[in-house]
Order: sequence, then structure tokens, then C-alpha cells
Amino acid sequence: MEWYWAFALLLGMVISFLAVGVPVAFAFIATNLIAIIIFAGTSGLIQVADNSTELISRFTLGPVPMFIMMGSLFFHTGLAIKVFDGLDAIFGRLPGRLCYLTVAGGAIFSTLTGSSMANTAMLGSLMVPEMNRRGYSQKMSMGPILGTGGLAMIIPPSALGVLLAAIAEIDVGRLLVAGFLPGFVLAALYAGMITLQLIRNPGSAPAYDVPYMSVVTKIRLVSTNILPMGLVVFMVIGFIILGIATPTEAAACGVLGVMLLAALFRTLSYESMKTAVEATIKVAAMVFLILMNSTVFSQMLAYSGASKGLIEWVTSYELHKLVVLLMMFVVLILLGMFMDATSMMLITVPIFFPLAHALGFDLIWYGLFVLITIEMAGTTPPFGLLLYVMLGVAPKGTTLFQVAGAALPFLICDTILILILVAFPELALWLPSLM
Amino acid sequence: METIAKAHMRLLNLMKTGSELIIFGVFVIIVVDVGLTICAKWGLPVIPWDRTHGFVEYGLLWFTMLAAPWLARIKGHVFIDAVTQLLPDTARGILAKFAYCVVIVGCVAMTYFSAQLLLESIDNEALDDRGADFILWTLYLPMPFGFGLVAIEFVRFLVGIDDMYGSRTDVREGI
Repeated sequence: MEWYWAFALLLGMVISFLAVGVPVAFAFIATNLIAIIIFAGTSGLIQVADNSTELISRFTLGPVPMFIMMGSLFFHTGLAIKVFDGLDAIFGRLPGRLCYLTVAGGAIFSTLTGSSMANTAMLGSLMVPEMNRRGYSQKMSMGPILGTGGLAMIIPPSALGVLLAAIAEIDVGRLLVAGFLPGFVLAALYAGMITLQLIRNPGSAPAYDVPYMSVVTKIRLVSTNILPMGLVVFMVIGFIILGIATPTEAAACGVLGVMLLAALFRTLSYESMKTAVEATIKVAAMVFLILMNSTVFSQMLAYSGASKGLIEWVTSYELHKLVVLLMMFVVLILLGMFMDATSMMLITVPIFFPLAHALGFDLIWYGLFVLITIEMAGTTPPFGLLLYVMLGVAPKGTTLFQVAGAALPFLICDTILILILVAFPELALWLPSLM
Repeated sequence: METIAKAHMRLLNLMKTGSELIIFGVFVIIVVDVGLTICAKWGLPVIPWDRTHGFVEYGLLWFTMLAAPWLARIKGHVFIDAVTQLLPDTARGILAKFAYCVVIVGCVAMTYFSAQLLLESIDNEALDDRGADFILWTLYLPMPFGFGLVAIEFVRFLVGIDDMYGSRTDVREGI
């Protein structure tokens, strides 16, 4: 079979099953079973079961449930509220203070949790009612939350980053660390965008009086509520950069760090632990079942000649590599309008990563590019999942397109970050180079 | 019938609890391992232990398979309804039945082939060469049970005892 027919058949089957509502994990199982009969015959069927154990029983995937557990504990023990209280003290009577608070809080949350969905849900439920009460426009209340919620995909610890690295077979630690500086540059761009919006429309986020707080009280609040979180950040990111622990070990240490802090603040309880562990298996087991199919799907793409054929076809045109990068960007954004992040990665990683490698992109840099694009796709209508998370916590009557409209300026910031990374790849690659 | 339904639910909850214990155990075992490594670096006497990788790797597969049927019961397996939402009720109903059938056939096939792998590895007394020579059949053991029970959950949807698409109330979970 010609590579393009094999390619169309494999992608067509997955997309058709997904379109009719087959749950993602089982759409891939069905595709793999049918594909193996077509390409290798019925004798290959047992390989689908055997090879499906390969990826999800790898030590390198350990950080995924650990990062999810870390984030769940952080939210369910009330540590997140403490961080917010600490930050709240820093910002005085400032126009748009709640927007800046969202960005600062979201960036800190992102260093402590690995899930952008949890981040968006937490920021949304915490900040939107308060912003509405203070007379903020919908654009100003939802936009920063959507933008900042997605920071968790880029700033380590990122569960999605670990998945991407595992599927693409690149170094997990280096990819995680690569997102650190660009993540904070993105947070700064979001803050700049908020300022710009406030200059254009000062009434959209009015200033309001806040109770007076002495400098000593402010310092005390910051020292008790924010600085101790640095311990967790060090236990995860510091351990990885310094080579003290592997990403899996660092992630488990991060969970321990959150537990210790919660115990210190007397907020650790059996109930909060139980809820956090249940939330972990709910998300991680669902994602891992989807991942089970990754190896066989990649093997089918390779075995049928689809991956090789596509690479040869694209490279035969001698297009500039940035043009190809732009094409991949468009495909990812389009897929993200309809798909969740894990399915997108399963479909595109076996095709795009070999292509990016053939075009000479650094795969760590490219991995970060994919993560930013996936984050953008999550806030793209009509079916970006973060839009729905936001809609779930937004006031009654809010429409999806109002949410999407609020996210638009922050998507522009994401695009600016990608352009910065294209111009200055060192921004992403400097920290990993120290490892 | 009610007794069977209750026993079935109890089994799913038991497997879910097993999954929770495993993932918590994975966390504990890694932390202990890091602690032992640090102690050894400081020259403190430690018990030699080289099975952490093996336990974590097997734990990841076990927790996934044990939680899968419970996830199906709580409609926790993510799906895309972008296209089906645009269709009339009748067409959506037909497609839903088709989707359930695809899952059932897929899961039955996976149950059969993973059971075959399990029996073969028991017969061969094969060892998994990763980590610390684990007995290979322990890797395959949760798969036929997990996939088999997921198939039963989707049979429930197919015969109309429950509806995977109908009663979803919360936002989709994910990372």
C-alpha cells in the first residue's frame, strides 16, 4: 500500500471513531486492531496487547500521576488559598489588581501543580466571582484566567510535558526545565497585555479601596504564605536541574513537599489526602489508558511506511523549515479545536517529531513549541477544553464565544512568545544546557 | 439481579481502592528509595534495595487497569462530542450504540489476547528482564480483568441500563 493511503487510512480511522463519540482510548484500540490485521495479518493481533504495556510501564512516566497528586493536594489542602492571601497583600490599590493577582497567582500555582485544567478551574472559581463583585468586565475577568491557567502546561512541573517527552522519546527532565524561563516570560507578557487593555479601557477593571496593611504585616504574610512554597519548587525543579533526582523521583519529592507544608500549616487531613488520590486516579488512569495505544499506533505509522513517506514528501519540496513549522502549528491548532491534548499528541508526535528532527530542529525546543501550541489550542473555540472549564465556573448566561473573545488577547501573547523562541532559542535551551 | 449488581459495584469500588493504594504506594516507594540513596551517600548503613523501578513500572500499569472499569462506570473516559452534538436525537442514538459496540469489540479482543499472553507467560515461567527480574505474568495479570470489566460496563450502556453520553454533568477532566 502506498504511504499516503496508509496514512489516510490510519488517521481516517482514528478521526472517524473519535467523531462518532467512541471514547479516545478505545478509538485508538479499535484503530490499532484493525490496522494490524490490514498491515500484518491476524497473527499480529497479540502484539497489540503485548506492546500496549510498553509505554505505560516506563519509569519515566512516573511524574504524571505524581504531578497530578501534587496539584490536587495543593488545592484540596487549602495551600492554594494561602498563596493567594499572601499575594493579595502585595498588591495595593491598583487598577486591575485582581487581574495582576491572577497572573502572579497562576504563575506560582504553575510551579506547584502540573495540570492546566486544575489551574484554570481553581483560578476561575476563586477569582471570577470576586472580579464580578468589583465591577470587572467579563473580558478582564476571564481572559487572564484562561491565559494563566494554561501556564501549567509550560512551567514545570508539567504533566503534559512528561507525556510529550515520553511519547516523543526525548529527555523528560530537559523538556520540563526548558519551559521554566519561557513560562515566566509568558506571564510577564500577560501582565503587559493587561496593562495595555487597562490603558485602552480603564473602566473595565476599576480600582477599589483595600484595607490598609503595614509593610511588616505584608512581609510577614509573604514570608509565611508564599516563601515556604519555594521548598516544593526546589524539591522538583531544583532537584532535576542539580541532578539530585530523576524527574520521577523529584515529582514524588514534590508530593512529599506539599504534604509537609500542608502538615506545617495544619491543613493536612485524611479527607484531603483521600480526595487528592481519587482525583489523581481519575485523571491519570484515563490518560494512561489512552497512552497504552501510543506505541502500537506509532509502530503502525512506521510499519506501513506512512511516517517515512510523509517525511520524504515534505522534505522533497525544500520548503524553509519555518514554513513547515508554521504548517505544523496550524495543524495542531485545528486539531486542538476538536480534541483533547493527549489524543492530539498521540496522533501528531509520531509524525511531527521525526519531521522536526529531519528539518534540524532541537527536539527539546520543538517539544516546548508543541506544548505552547497545545496550550493555545486548548483556548481556541469551538471545543478548546479550557474554554469549557472556564464556562463551568463563569456566571450563568456566559456564552462560549464571550469566553473565547476574552482569551484572544492572551493567545496573541502566546504567539509573541513563540516568535521570541524562534528568534532566541537560548531562552528555552539555556537552562537544560546546565544539566 | 440486585445482588449481582451490588456485588459488581462493590468489585469496581474495590478495584478503584486498589488503584488508589497502588498509586500512593508508588509515591511512598520512590520517596523511601530517594531517602535510602541519600542515607547511603552520607555513609549510613542501608538495606540494599534495587526493585523500585520495577515496582513503579508495574504499579503504573496496574493502577491504570484497576481503575479503568470504575472510570467507565463514572463516565470518566474522555470522548469527543463535537460532531454528534450537531445531529438529531435519533442519529445520535444510533451512533452511540455503534460507539458502544466498537468499545465492546475492542475490549473483548484485548481481554482475549491479554489472557493469552498471561497464560503463555505462566506456562513459560518467563521473567521480565527490566528492573529486577519480575515474573512476567504479573505484568499481564490485571489486563484481562480490566478490559473484561470495561466491556461489561459498555454492555450496560448498550442495553440501556445507563447512558454514557446522557448524564454527564460536570466539566471534562484532564491535564
